[in-house]
Amino acid sequence: MNIQFKKGVLEICVLFVLAHKDCYGYELVAAISKRIDISEGTIYPLLRRLKDEGYVTTYLQESAEGPPRKYYRLTETGRNVEHEQKEEWMRFVASVNALLEGTHDAAD
Amino acid sequence: MQQTEAEYLRILKSRLVGTLTDDELADVLSDYSEHFRMGKANGRKEEELFCSLGSPEDVAREIRATHLVNKAESDRSCGNLLHAIGATLGLGLFNLVFVLVPFILLVVLLFVVFILGIVFTVFGPAAGIYAILQILGLPAFAIWQSPVAGVFFSLGITTFGLLLVIGDYFLARFSYHLGIRYLKWNIGVITGTERVA
Repeated sequence: MNIQFKKGVLEICVLFVLAHKDCYGYELVAAISKRIDISEGTIYPLLRRLKDEGYVTTYLQESAEGPPRKYYRLTETGRNVEHEQKEEWMRFVASVNALLEGTHDAAD
Repeated sequence: MQQTEAEYLRILKSRLVGTLTDDELADVLSDYSEHFRMGKANGRKEEELFCSLGSPEDVAREIRATHLVNKAESDRSCGNLLHAIGATLGLGLFNLVFVLVPFILLVVLLFVVFILGIVFTVFGPAAGIYAILQILGLPAFAIWQSPVAGVFFSLGITTFGLLLVIGDYFLARFSYHLGIRYLKWNIGVITGTERVA
């Protein structure tokens, strides 16, 4: 898939995953790269930007094994943005699918 | 090159030291060392983790560009803006066209408007003084057919010149603000992972 296309969608994906639950970095990266083929290293700079924008905050939490982990959580602003982008995404995908089905019908 | 955790962190550090503060650098490095630690705890090898992270040079470029754009936003100055633009250009050849060219055009436009404003602001009063001297009856300064109209004309020219200079100042401020927003969008959407493909 086109790399620019993926990069634009990556931010939405991170917001979607975090809306579901707070994650630590590795967990988030694993969740996304399981579905989307990206270079995992770029998710951390993205998280950093989302934090600068005030969409996410971080906190440290002890883990059973090893040192504490850095968790990411959506802020109120982040939650609103996630909500808007999710609706926008759904509408967009529905439109594209409708178009695809349209061409399919025409081809028959 | 060995694809180890130590090598990954070394490259990141060498590219970011001097740009980021020590705290920020430590924060970036800790994200990646935590990533390696968690990955290894999940049974993955360092080399495999290195590969799926992608090039540390690209990650460093992206972090550097973001940092310098933020800095240019919070601390407005020509120097900071140039650093931010320079770092953004490093994200891909693409940006020569989509960052450098618009930037140069804008600078030329702002400069031309400024010079025009200054010219009008200087010529206006000069023409006005000539008109007043002519009204006072000094024939050596008789350049105006109608010196009274000359006074009003020069007032108009001066005002126009001042408006151009002031307008240019606000246009420059507005462009700066818009430019920073564009660079942020550029880093987030267009460039950064480009080379990894």
